[in-house]
Parts: sequence; C-alpha cells; structure tokens
Amino acid sequence: MRRLVAEVVVIGGGAAGTFAALELHRRGIKPLILCKGLVGKSGASIFAGNLVVPGRLLGNTEQQARDTAEFLIRMHNHFLIDQHYARAAGEWIEREYYPELERAGLYLRRDDRGNVVTNDGPVRCMAAHSQGESGVLFMDLRRKQVLRAGIPWLEETAATALLTGADGAIAGVIALDLARGEVVAIESCAVILATGYADRFYPRSTATREMSADGIAMAWRAGAELMNLEIQWWHTSDVRFPLCWQRTQVYPNPIIGSSRSARLYNGDGEMFFDQEADAPAAMGPYTIQLKRLAKQVLAGKARFDGSYYSGFTHVAPGTVTTYTDYAKAFAALGKSVAADTLETACSAHYRQGGIVIDPTTMATRVPGLYVAGGVGGHSNGLIAPATYDGMLAAETVANDLARLRPAALPVDKVAAEEARLLGLRRPRSGNGTTPAQVKKALRAVMGEKMGFFKDAAGMNEALAAVTRLREDMLPSMGLTNVTPRLNHAWLDAIDVTNMLEVAALTIRGALHRTESRGPFYRTDFPDMDNGNWLVKNILTPMANGDVDFRTEPYDLPFLKPDFVRRPSLEVDW
Amino acid sequence: MAERPQVPDSARNLGRDNTGDSPAARLTRLKEGDTVTARLFRFDPTAEAAPRFETYRVPYTKWMRVLEVLTYVSEEIGGDLAHRWFCANRMCGTCAVRVNGREVLACWEPAEPNMTIEPLRNAPVVRDLVIDRSEYERRVLDLTPWLERRDPYAGFPEPLTHPSMARADKALDCISCMCCFSACPVVGLGNETDFAGPAPLVQLARVALDPRDGIDRGRIAVERGAVFDCVSCYKCEEVCPVSIPIVTGAIEPLKALAFKSVVRKSRHARVFLAIVRARGRIDPSALILGVQRLAALRHPFRVLKLWRRGKIDPLKTLLGFRLPDIAQIRQVFAAVRGGRP
Repeated sequence: MRRLVAEVVVIGGGAAGTFAALELHRRGIKPLILCKGLVGKSGASIFAGNLVVPGRLLGNTEQQARDTAEFLIRMHNHFLIDQHYARAAGEWIEREYYPELERAGLYLRRDDRGNVVTNDGPVRCMAAHSQGESGVLFMDLRRKQVLRAGIPWLEETAATALLTGADGAIAGVIALDLARGEVVAIESCAVILATGYADRFYPRSTATREMSADGIAMAWRAGAELMNLEIQWWHTSDVRFPLCWQRTQVYPNPIIGSSRSARLYNGDGEMFFDQEADAPAAMGPYTIQLKRLAKQVLAGKARFDGSYYSGFTHVAPGTVTTYTDYAKAFAALGKSVAADTLETACSAHYRQGGIVIDPTTMATRVPGLYVAGGVGGHSNGLIAPATYDGMLAAETVANDLARLRPAALPVDKVAAEEARLLGLRRPRSGNGTTPAQVKKALRAVMGEKMGFFKDAAGMNEALAAVTRLREDMLPSMGLTNVTPRLNHAWLDAIDVTNMLEVAALTIRGALHRTESRGPFYRTDFPDMDNGNWLVKNILTPMANGDVDFRTEPYDLPFLKPDFVRRPSLEVDW
Repeated sequence: MAERPQVPDSARNLGRDNTGDSPAARLTRLKEGDTVTARLFRFDPTAEAAPRFETYRVPYTKWMRVLEVLTYVSEEIGGDLAHRWFCANRMCGTCAVRVNGREVLACWEPAEPNMTIEPLRNAPVVRDLVIDRSEYERRVLDLTPWLERRDPYAGFPEPLTHPSMARADKALDCISCMCCFSACPVVGLGNETDFAGPAPLVQLARVALDPRDGIDRGRIAVERGAVFDCVSCYKCEEVCPVSIPIVTGAIEPLKALAFKSVVRKSRHARVFLAIVRARGRIDPSALILGVQRLAALRHPFRVLKLWRRGKIDPLKTLLGFRLPDIAQIRQVFAAVRGGRP
C-alpha cells in the first residue's frame, strides 16, 4: 500500500474537479487530483455540446436574459434547484467564466465578421470551435492548465472510500491505482468530491465507461445526506446502432447560426417533435421530446428502445455542417445528413439529484467533505454551473482549512478498506458470477422496472431484485484473472458494489416521491403535484444502517410554477 | 457473410468509395449473426516474457464497431482483456488500437470479418491493448502548447474573426488519440531523432497558427520539436480519425514559421532551397548529404539500400545534374521575397 499526504484531495478530473484544483492552486493551496479515468478525457464534461449565453452577454435582451434563467430553472431543473444558487452561478458565469476561458485561449466560434455565432431564439447558445465538440476543447484546455500549474494527479486511480475520524470529520481517502494494482491511502482533512452527474445503471446510458455512482456511494457511507436521486434524465435522440454509440446524439438543440434543429419521426414517417415549433425556448428539449415519445409509445407507434427516427432532412445541409459536427455519425455510417434519418433510442442521461450540500458553500454535513458539480443534489451539473461549484468549493475549503483539524488516518478503517478491496480480487469459483455479469443483471432490472414508465409494484419488484443481486450474486462474484495490473474486472467488482447500493437508494427515493415531474414519471401518480412535491426528497443514513426520509420545501423567490396540479405528460417541461 | 471486396493494403485507400470500402459498403459486409474473428494481442510485461495472440469469435450485431468486439471479449468471454476507452463517441481519444496493421479508433471503426488487433506502436504496453501515454504527454508538454498572448486580453468577446482563425481551426479537431503518433515512421526511429511526432506538433500548431499568440513558435518547432525531421510521408494524415491535414495544415506551416524565425537551424529547408535553385529540382542524395553531412556516411548499408531502390542517385549528384530551363526557376526565386536562404 502506498501512503500519501495531501492538503486537499480533489476526486474527479472533469470541469468541476479541475477548476477546483486550479482555484486552490491559485490560492497557494496544494491539491492532489484523483481521477478514475484520464483528467479532461474521461467523464461527462467532454460531452458539453452547447454553451448557454447567460444574462445580458453577447447582446442578450432583457427578455432573453429572463427566458434563459427561466429555461434553466423550469425546463432544466423542474424547479428542483435553489434559485439563489442559480442566480449567483449565472452571474459568475456571465462575469467570470467565459472571459476566463477565452483569456486562456478557448476559441468561441466566430463568423467571418467576428461575431460569436449563436442560434436565433429566446435562449441562445454558442460553441467552442464546433458545436457538439465544445467539451473536448474545454477539457483539453483544463488538462493543460493543470499540467502547466504542476498540480499532481493520480490518473486511472479510483477513489474507493472516504475515511472519517472518531469526530466524524474527513481524515483521508483510499483509492486503487488501476495500472499498478496498488491500494493508495491518502491522508487529508479536506476532500472535494467532483465525480459527475451520471452513472451507468441502464442498458443504455450517456455516462462514460468509468462512471458508477462512486461519489454518491462514498459520500453516503461517510455520513452525507442524499436528495432527489430519483430524478433521472433521459436522452431521447441517441443513435440506436451501433450499440456502443449509445452516447452519440442526433442533437435536438438549436443549431448555431440558425434557428433549426433535429426532428423526431415515428416508424410511419409522422413527425412528432419539432423543437423550433413545439418548444422554441427549450435549448435542451430533452424532457419535452421524452414526453412526446411517451405518447407515441402509448399509441403503439414507437418504443423507448427504438423504432423511431431523428434527423435534419428538413434543413439545408450547409446549416448542419458549417458550425457543427452533427453530421459525423451520419458520415461514419455512409448516410447523408441531408437525406437520411437515423434510428434513435433513449439513453439514461444524468441524475438531477445527488449529495445534499449548502449551495452557498458546497459543504456537506460531513466536516471536511465538499462537493462540486453534478454529483451534488443542488443542480443538474451543466458544465458552466459545475465549474462555478468548483470555484465555490475551493473558496470554502481555503476558508475552512485553518479550522479543520489535521487528519490522521484511522488505522483500523484503512486496514478494513484494503482488506475489502483485496477481497474483491478473488478468483471465480466454477459457477460463480463475474462482476460484468452482475452489472449487466442490474442494468437489466433498472431497464425493465425503472425506465420512464414505472409504478410502485414494478419498483418494489426492482428493489427486491436488487436486494437479491446484493445478497445472492455478490458473495459468489469472482474474477477470471486475478492479475492486479490494469484489471478492469477488479474495478468492475468495486463499481458494482457501489452501484447496487445506490440503485437501492434510488428506487427507495423514487417510491417515496408520489408524483411525476419532468423526466420522472410514475403511471400510478401521473400528475405533477406542485402543492406537495416542490420539495427536496432527502435520504439520511441512520446509525443502524437504515434510511430516514424527509422532505424540505424549496424557497421560490424568483420563479414559481403557474399551476398546482396537472397531468405531467401535458406539461411542457 | 457477404464476400469481402478487394481492399488495397495502403491505409490511404481504406474507407474510399472507389475501393469498395466506403462506410456504406462496410455496413453490408457483415450481417447480424455472422461471426467476427478477432485475433487479439495479449501481454502482461510484468508477468510474461513475450506477447502472444489469442483468437476469439464474436457474434456480429448491427453496424458493430471494433470497441463492441473488445467489450464482448472482456465482458462476455475473456473477462480479463485490458483495453482503454471512455466515451465511445470519437471524443475522448483513448480507445485507439491497430486493426490489421492500421491505427483506428475502436469506437468509430466498423468491425471486419477477420481482425488482428494490436496496441498502438511507439509507446510501451501496460497490459494487452493498453499503452502508456506518458512519453507522448511529456512531448506535448515540452512544446508548451498553450496560448501566450501577443496583446493583453481585450475582454469578452475579444475581437477575432473566423478567417483569422481558419488556419488553426482544423488542428483544433485533434482529440489526442495518438493514432498518428503510432503510425509515424520517424517517431518509430526512437532516439535516432529528436522529432516530437505528428500529434505533439498538431498541438503546437493550434497555438502557432492562432493570430492571438505572440511567442516564437517557429523556434520551439525546430529546437524542441525537430520539425524538419518530418519526412512528409503522410502516414499521419492517412490514419487521422478526424481527418486533420497534419502535414499540410500543421507541420508545413510550422516549418515555414521555423524558417522565418531561425533560418540558421532550418538547415533542411535551406539545403532544399539551395538544391532547387542550383539544379531546378530536388536531388535526394544532395539533400541527405547537405542535411546530415558526414553523419550520412554512418549508415553505408542504408545508403546502398536507398541507391538500389532508386531513391537516390549519387552519380547524378556528382555530375551536377540540372534542369535545362534552370533560368526560369531562378527567375521564380528572384521574384519570391524571402526565398533566399
């Protein structure tokens, strides 16, 4: 076992984590980044396709500024967001974020006369270099900034446990260096958790390979509270074939330089979604698309897993190819973006909920544990607010470091976690299961019972199935090859343990929320119920291992829904 | 299984309509239920003396990609194949491997009926198909490929037009997948050259061709990137999965910058020009002698091999061959400002 000491550990190498580390470094504090993948290359941040133009930036009118704020609060978060936080993040993004990125060299696509290219419409976005590829450029920039600053990192190293001392405060992190197959114990009194907003709980998912709810599982075991885990987002227009392109979108967002966007068609060729006409203010129209698709499914004209189509055949080809890379999937399949549509299917996108934090500080209720980005329950983790979180978390840590007590790793907990990790690298017995098989079984359960349409009976069956997987499959799970070196099956074994725990909590949270809202839909409670459920659905870990549920209303200082109760499928957000 | 058309070996001809290997043709070459035979490179350098190949049979699914073949092997059959990937969407640039000798992104490349899949070259193997990226990353870092502003930042949005960014724009597509780094024969020479490699130079070109940048990138290209060691073989462009014109759009512009700012160190360009001015066209043996000088004689067998294959003709060089209408060529030189070495 390798032992390290760090002033602050940042877990995650995406938009939130790298910015937190850079901000700490700027303040003279020495962070260590732990990244399960490669900094700036793994995770969801590279998928950032659209950069929303906030406030009065780039000549936004007063009305566009209002529409943009409303889009973020109503359509993108379904009012499950702290509006004071949303305002503070929006102001920072307008004032600091884009100038900082451009100053560092990010190229926001201009036209020939030098205007930043945006779409036309009530809510506008721009793109770094090419629409659809912005995240790659962002994260390449962050990776280089971190390298240039000399901030140390451990890549392909998965954090497996947050250790707390006798006082309940953070004392350090245990991690597995995947390439070397070595357990690493890092002593630190402050951790910023920035592991992202998605996990691969479903047969199709936009989460990248390494995402498996680790952050939520680790924070929960360290004593943090969780909220709104059940609010699962969906991508409606992801390419169905080839199967590995389940993250490849036929982007439904407006194309910059135009007001056009992709349309959805059922198998009979009938169009059932046109963002331009149906939801012009929906910059990311995912939930509206999803509800339109649900109606097609109910009418027997499509399935959530395919047999409907998306494309740009109504748009002049130049509109698609001038500023975007949206044609890349078409081209790689030998299809024409001008003439062909692609069969699409739903992929589980991100979970809106996550770890409970104070959105003015990013602190959790565990002393020394801070959160940034999508793994928090406070917002949905778009790249710009996630970066704001990184800044805020670093600022809070800088203020708190003086009063956080120097950490000392609890010897017994270190030994127990090391033993657990080494125990998961056991050889498979004759009829034992592999970690990949357990993951697959979990995804099948979630796909069948926890998709868009769900009800109490199905969710209780899902909970029972997940419990069976934990009790029956996990004990007999083993590896085909027990090499310690770059053994992804070993990592899968660690992942699936976290995934099963968080899946059970997610299902319980979903059972608790007796309404439908945004992308969360229950056939037994089909109404959006703003009277009772405009609340945080909070899960608290109890000392006896049980879960305590409570709800807490949102303060709604700026925007309120304009109805109390309505069938959710009829609501356009 | 549909019959496989004749596909020429050259990577340059792969994926082209006129070779029967267009993306559309690839979609129909295999049908669901067909078998893909994958011969995979397996190696754990900490535990094994030498690499070996293992063959797996994988059922084809619609429009299957190489990544799905690898995932099927690791999750359904082998359970212990080490291969790296994160996004499966041509963005993270971590899944590159060599399929039948050619560098491809596993997530973007259609599966073929018979595939030998190996790790990238020019980087040590960690295990199986996973390579150690650290030497590549070190070379990128050494070129300091981040913007150093000529003028103070003017505030958002800064004055900038697309035409002024157009030269840097293609290089911005680079996803650092290392395909070109693996395919480059000069990088493959190892310590015989200081050549940084195509991908690091693409990273340098991003800032060198950016009108906002203010430092001497030409000097960096030659002193730290050894840009003139590029032999313009175009292997890098052939394999680039995002179609960056690496030689014409990144390396040649860097050579031009180097020639402008550090003429003394741009010996290759100077010799090249001098030969063309003297003889009317390039003479390979004179070029080698002029650039490498006595060092060229360190490899007599290589010289003989080049001679035998007609790549060089020292006799012609000694006889002082020149084109008959050399006067015209010299007029061109005279007309082009800055053409003098």
